[in-house]
Amino acid sequence: MPKVTFINPDETRVELEVPVGTSLMRAATAHGLDGIVGDCGGGLTCATCHVLVQEEFLPNTPSMTPNEEQMLDFTAMGRQINSRLSCQLVMTEELDGLTVRIADPQL
Amino acid sequence: MEAPVLDIDPYATDVLKNPYPFHEELRETGPVALIKPHGVYAVGRHVEASEVLNDPVRFTASGGIGIQDIRKPGEFRVPNRLLENDPPSHTNIRGVLSRLLSPIVIRGWREQFESEAKKVVAQIVEMGEFDGVENLAEEYVLRVFPDALGVKLPRKNVLAIGEMRFNQSGPQNELYRIAMEKAQPYLEWFESSTQRENVTPGSISETLFVCEDKGEIEPGIASNMVRSFIGGGTDSTITGIGHTLNLLAQNPDQWAELKANPNKVKSAFEEALRMETPFQVTYRTTTGETELSGVRLEPDTKIGVFLGAANRDPRKWPNPDKFDVSRDTAGIHVGFGVGAHICIGQMIARLEAEAILRAVVEAVDRLEPAGAPRFRPINQMRQLDYLPLRAISG
Ligand code: HEM
Repeated sequence: MPKVTFINPDETRVELEVPVGTSLMRAATAHGLDGIVGDCGGGLTCATCHVLVQEEFLPNTPSMTPNEEQMLDFTAMGRQINSRLSCQLVMTEELDGLTVRIADPQL
Repeated sequence: MEAPVLDIDPYATDVLKNPYPFHEELRETGPVALIKPHGVYAVGRHVEASEVLNDPVRFTASGGIGIQDIRKPGEFRVPNRLLENDPPSHTNIRGVLSRLLSPIVIRGWREQFESEAKKVVAQIVEMGEFDGVENLAEEYVLRVFPDALGVKLPRKNVLAIGEMRFNQSGPQNELYRIAMEKAQPYLEWFESSTQRENVTPGSISETLFVCEDKGEIEPGIASNMVRSFIGGGTDSTITGIGHTLNLLAQNPDQWAELKANPNKVKSAFEEALRMETPFQVTYRTTTGETELSGVRLEPDTKIGVFLGAANRDPRKWPNPDKFDVSRDTAGIHVGFGVGAHICIGQMIARLEAEAILRAVVEAVDRLEPAGAPRFRPINQMRQLDYLPLRAISG
């Protein structure tokens, strides 16, 4: 199963196996990573599952919908060049080894 | 395969009062069924519900989200220019609205929402026995929601208009006729309450008119959107909070779970929307002949997506009829819809629900039924009419 490393706001790292087809948001909340809130459950309305994608992986990530583009402007941390909403990062084999930093704050 | 035929009227009063046997028939008849009394298709399983709502090319919203095709002569009503519309025209309006209703804006309301919640809960604690609909859910939502958006919503007016609109999206049955008649005295008020001069200066509603001035949205959209906030955001949230209270009163073990962990009020609300879905059904229209899970569909035909049925589909949910506040349902249940039209006000509804439910859990030790709840049959809605409860503290 492909793996993802999350870097928590306190710099600790957590490596999770994420089944293909599962979003990073669901994987993180299911494992109790508190840095990801994900209040709306993937509906692109809360912007609380914000992550910063390690740049070498950016080309492998799925392209953004207009809705995600817009919601990134409403993240509490503010949008960075490598910002994504983790509910939209659905696991694929190509993303194996992905590292993301959990944005802080989310609320 | 042609669609199997189901000879049940989803809008018969006894079905509206207890929709669950119909939902089961619908799910088990096939992935899609033809509803004989109305000549429309319907889906009740989670997979097909998502597929229809996620594909505006095969299933357009422009025919209206009710059973009638509002593009046809004789069935016309004022369309919702956001909801009864498809991308890309939808995308532009939605973009402006998402900015005005952004999560940052909504989080800014928290303190106000929480302080009003405490006041309303103090009232019901004082009363001891109360109606969870009128004294708690309505009382609370009508205190915070209109002010947050900048509209004025007198209780009697907004309830009559809501009843009209959610019956109007069904067939022209007795419920429809009665609701239209009851709403007559309020139609003029409704029309004028969505005009620029009657919204609060500086509010979100007024900002919509400013966006119209700037040419960001077409003329007429601002007032239409104010209409859609009132319609989309009032009855739905009131009844969603009511259903949560009802289910908590009926399930003391789940109430105990919230007393032990008040943060679970959020998942309790989501679970209530799953179990008792406020917007029971929404429609799309087939654009051309198409196939859905192996069933051939006629072009230009309505297809009802029974959200309440999908939310209890055993293919998706283990033990679907069990109210379980620890279930992870947000974003999986389709009570807020799915796809391009997914509810734009969901974070407002969640904030209201969280504030009022947390205040109840903090102030009340035991929440008990004080009689049988009553449902109000409405063509499109699963709505509580009366919810007698007893709050015991200390
Ligand atoms: C518990 C409360 C609520 C429930 C159950 C609910 C449910 C829904 C559903 C199911 C849809 C999608 C309909 C479809 O696809 O045909 C929707 C859309 C919508 N809702 Fe809500 N809603 C709620 C609260 C609110 C609030 C508070 C507002 C206030 C702004 C609101 C405004 C809207 C609007 C404007 C749309 C249309 C969005 C679009 O077409 O892009 N709703 N809602």
